[in-house]
Amino acid sequence: MSPATQRQGAGSTLAERAGPTAVIADDEPLLRAQLRTRLARAWPELRVVHEMADGRDVDGVIERHAPNLFFLDIHMPGVNGLDAARVIGSRAHVVFVTAYDDYAVEAFERGAIDYVLKPFDESRLALTVSRLKERVGARPAQLDMLVETLAERLAPRATTHLRWIKASVGSNVRLIPVEEVLFFQSDEKYTRVVTCEAESLIRKPIRELLAELDPAKFWQVHRATIVNVDHIASVRRGLKDQAEISLRGHGEILIVSRAFTHLFKQM
Amino acid sequence: MTGVNASASLLEGLTVRRVLAVTALCAAAALAVVRLFYNTYWDLLVSALCVGYTSMLLFTIAGNLRQRFLPREAMQVAAVVVGSFLGTLLTAFVKGRSLSEMFSERLSGVMITMGLGIGVGCVVVAGLILREKHARDQARILKAEAERHQLEKSVLEARLALMQAQVEPHFLFNTLANVQHLVETDAAGASRVLESLIRYLRAALPQMRESSTNLGRELDMARAFLEIQQVRMGERLEFAIDVPDALKSRPFPPMMLISLVENAVKHGLDPCCECGSIVIRAREEPGRLRVSVEDTGEGILPKKGGGVGLANIRERLKALYGVSARLVLEENAPHGVVASIEVPA
Repeated sequence: MSPATQRQGAGSTLAERAGPTAVIADDEPLLRAQLRTRLARAWPELRVVHEMADGRDVDGVIERHAPNLFFLDIHMPGVNGLDAARVIGSRAHVVFVTAYDDYAVEAFERGAIDYVLKPFDESRLALTVSRLKERVGARPAQLDMLVETLAERLAPRATTHLRWIKASVGSNVRLIPVEEVLFFQSDEKYTRVVTCEAESLIRKPIRELLAELDPAKFWQVHRATIVNVDHIASVRRGLKDQAEISLRGHGEILIVSRAFTHLFKQM
Repeated sequence: MTGVNASASLLEGLTVRRVLAVTALCAAAALAVVRLFYNTYWDLLVSALCVGYTSMLLFTIAGNLRQRFLPREAMQVAAVVVGSFLGTLLTAFVKGRSLSEMFSERLSGVMITMGLGIGVGCVVVAGLILREKHARDQARILKAEAERHQLEKSVLEARLALMQAQVEPHFLFNTLANVQHLVETDAAGASRVLESLIRYLRAALPQMRESSTNLGRELDMARAFLEIQQVRMGERLEFAIDVPDALKSRPFPPMMLISLVENAVKHGLDPCCECGSIVIRAREEPGRLRVSVEDTGEGILPKKGGGVGLANIRERLKALYGVSARLVLEENAPHGVVASIEVPA
């Protein structure tokens, strides 16, 4: 446990019935301190029983402190505020803390969710506190739906396609964004990764690459070749039933074997 | 390779139109010379068509042959000459005359037929070659123009992206929240953060940006940004700047270094709960200046996004320096990323 997550208010068991309790979660120590100070002014009866630097171990915190309220910063490393809210469910009231007016705020307003904006505005905080005072005795609302929409808006779903190629160059590992790759071509037991600037070898075979790359951008044109269609300059008819691809910014000509020429038939 | 396919590709261009044109040409040529011969028009037309069709066939094949011995045009002219000769032999065959007869008493007629075939053929071939060359030139001009447009477009886009690169509101408000707290608890600290923020904004706001900049100014901006981040992240962030003073006056494109530093914090250290460090280095290498940002953060996962800023830097480098500048990303040991920009010195 980092110093930031040490227990606050050692006498929590003695003052069980003294008033509502809260936990503050924010990765920035100064901002935790600031929220605590401001809350002490705006809501003296509220006791902050615990502070956290991220959303981990929410279950343990609820077990130990059974707080009425959680103040959750949305952007935290590791487990963020939205993830933490999912875990909390309806076991406590959740108040989101966020640093700027974005669509999260719009969603909060529509969903009648409590939130606090950083930097804190004295009168805004007072308004939120008066609302919370009314609610804190009631059963906490189910936030699941809203949290899902928010999560979708704030963190675009991680892509399922391969975005980076790791290739050894000497003793270093070069990181190549797939958009830069002109084509992949198998070369005996390695696969060539060719960009405008350089060429490197990786161990991953064409077949595995094909399964992981975005099929809209990367087309197999030959048993041994995958081309990035964004870099194709032109395609012309070649010998036999093949076609030939010339690339932008690279002199190499790629052969499209008969089985794949249908990809380039005029629509 | 099947025979059908091979002949299909060798005969590419042998269209109905071409056959009709040759037929018409032969008819006209026969008509033009009919007064000079004792032969009937039909007899001459058969000769002309034999020579014309043979030459056309060889001309088409010569145009489609993939060989490197002779220029395509020379092959086509040779095809017409050979075609005229073979066509004349074919005439004899069609008309049922013996070869010995052709090369004795009929030699003058044979020579005239061949000569006419070669003459007319060469004129036609020259016309075709000129037309083809014209079309090729036109295509080349169009292609060059398209490439120029493409380049102009990417230069413009790069400029636009630079204009639009802006201070992230989340960063700005978070920093202000920190200042707000420090004002009450640590006035000197608040003033330090504000100074860093002002230095950062002076460089980062598009309206404040200077059109040309040097490495020293870009470093100041990066340092101001990192100082602010250090207040926010506390022990989680350490940084060092290792740049010889002599390099600070070197010209360096604006907003690229800060972009790498922001990436190192946002995608490298921020997602990592443990503490991390960032080192900015600049080195002079033969003919080039290499500026790198090393972080010990989470590193790049194969499926992680976030390449937009990097793509933008690549585009701008290309627009500014062509192929003599580049952005390279490598893995740092034991974890993290080293991002380097190399520009010509």
